[in-house]
Amino acid sequence: MASSDRSPGPMPPGNGAVPPGKPMTIGQHVLDKGAQMLQTLKPIKQMSQHVCTFAAYSHDMTRQIQTHHFVHRLNQDFLQCAVYDSDAPDARLIGVEYIVSERTFETLPPEEQKLWHSHAHEIQSGLWVNPRVPEMVLKSELNDLAKTYGKFWCTWQVDRGDRLPLGAPALMMSPQEVNLGIVRAELVKERDRKYNICTDDLKKSRVDILGPEMMNPFADYWKKTGKGFANGIEQIQMKLRAPFP
Amino acid sequence: MEEVNRSTHPEVPGEPTQTGTSILEKATATIQGFHPINKIHQHLCAFHFYADDMTRQVEAHHYCGHQNEEMRQCLIYDSPESDARLIGVEYIISEGLFMTLPDEEKPLWHTHLYEVKGGVLFMPGVPGPVQRKDLEKICKTYGKTIHFWQVDRADPLPLGLPQIMMAFTREGQLYENLTQDVEKRYGVSYHNERENRAYMEGPAHGIHPLANAAGKGLKTVLKETDCKPADTVPRVFV
Repeated sequence: MASSDRSPGPMPPGNGAVPPGKPMTIGQHVLDKGAQMLQTLKPIKQMSQHVCTFAAYSHDMTRQIQTHHFVHRLNQDFLQCAVYDSDAPDARLIGVEYIVSERTFETLPPEEQKLWHSHAHEIQSGLWVNPRVPEMVLKSELNDLAKTYGKFWCTWQVDRGDRLPLGAPALMMSPQEVNLGIVRAELVKERDRKYNICTDDLKKSRVDILGPEMMNPFADYWKKTGKGFANGIEQIQMKLRAPFP
Repeated sequence: MEEVNRSTHPEVPGEPTQTGTSILEKATATIQGFHPINKIHQHLCAFHFYADDMTRQVEAHHYCGHQNEEMRQCLIYDSPESDARLIGVEYIISEGLFMTLPDEEKPLWHTHLYEVKGGVLFMPGVPGPVQRKDLEKICKTYGKTIHFWQVDRADPLPLGLPQIMMAFTREGQLYENLTQDVEKRYGVSYHNERENRAYMEGPAHGIHPLANAAGKGLKTVLKETDCKPADTVPRVFV
């Protein structure tokens, strides 16, 4: 059946909009505003950081994307991020990333650790940025985050041309300092131009940021093994408690 | 058999957030833009079950934003509180968009007809007549839900593979103690809502036979693949 490393099949091209669909009606806008005023929406008000960085598909690391993480910290060792493909209001929700400290990561079994990636390189090299925030404000936070590990599932492969979220969720990997982990220069240039920053300068100012005390051997699985992961979705007998559907 | 509701906020392992970190994050929250998040305008409370196991059911708090009239994208949390865990995502599309999906994709999507007409899906805090204006639209839609954190088995962290989730399609599937708990907390009655929603209609073409996992179960399976191009990755012999 479905697999994260294979497109499920064609969809009608329509007008090319991603996603396709009619524009919002006035009635819907009014409904939305009404709901927004009456509901507290607490969980989503907890996001405290916007991070722009890059990621690659574990099953095909030649596919590299720019990501926008909206980060909610639950405690000193755990963060949860809603990931979008841009920071504009029409950004598409492309997945979720969880970030844990070195301490928490080391409690996970190796089979789980293989699904995670390190953040040290991405932060040290200046690829990971918080748009609009002065570097010096971030220094201590970056020092902490450089020692963390992340688990990132992508649910909408927009870069593949999917106009709706198709297929199985795909595991993502982080930029690294060697071959398949190196982010293409033109992607970085485009990002820098948009935010009027210079990734190379950030790298120089972050030279004293250190990664984990001991880089975990199972994270960034592809580096040692040359292997990635794809998710397949298979049909099985559902365990029931009542007839379905 | 009653389902034990274990998603009662066991602590996520870790030290409490340090003051310095907190202060810094208050600053970033003020300085930075959060446009995609600001688009989220609606809280929906519903239940999902695992596509391979109907006996495992999860209360799901959806925070939704419209991409256009026919498509919403939602963040799913295990509670409506400020320490809620982000457990998954759901995409909601019109019947029209569902019909354009490749046949291989359709089973990953579920219908909302029963949940809406059964009173199970609702908008906390919004008066009935107001919410029904939106729910009558949701009644006709299809959703694709993926959970990453299996809080119902008390996982302290988001472990394992992503799970495709399904929605309830008829009476007798959803555990009563789960619904009674929600009804008590929110002061709502699913039964009363059913009468108010009797007028609503589902998809114009009826429920597509391939939707709702085509009536079967679905399971995620991890496969190792070769990095391409494989010969460019240095092998380190440990």
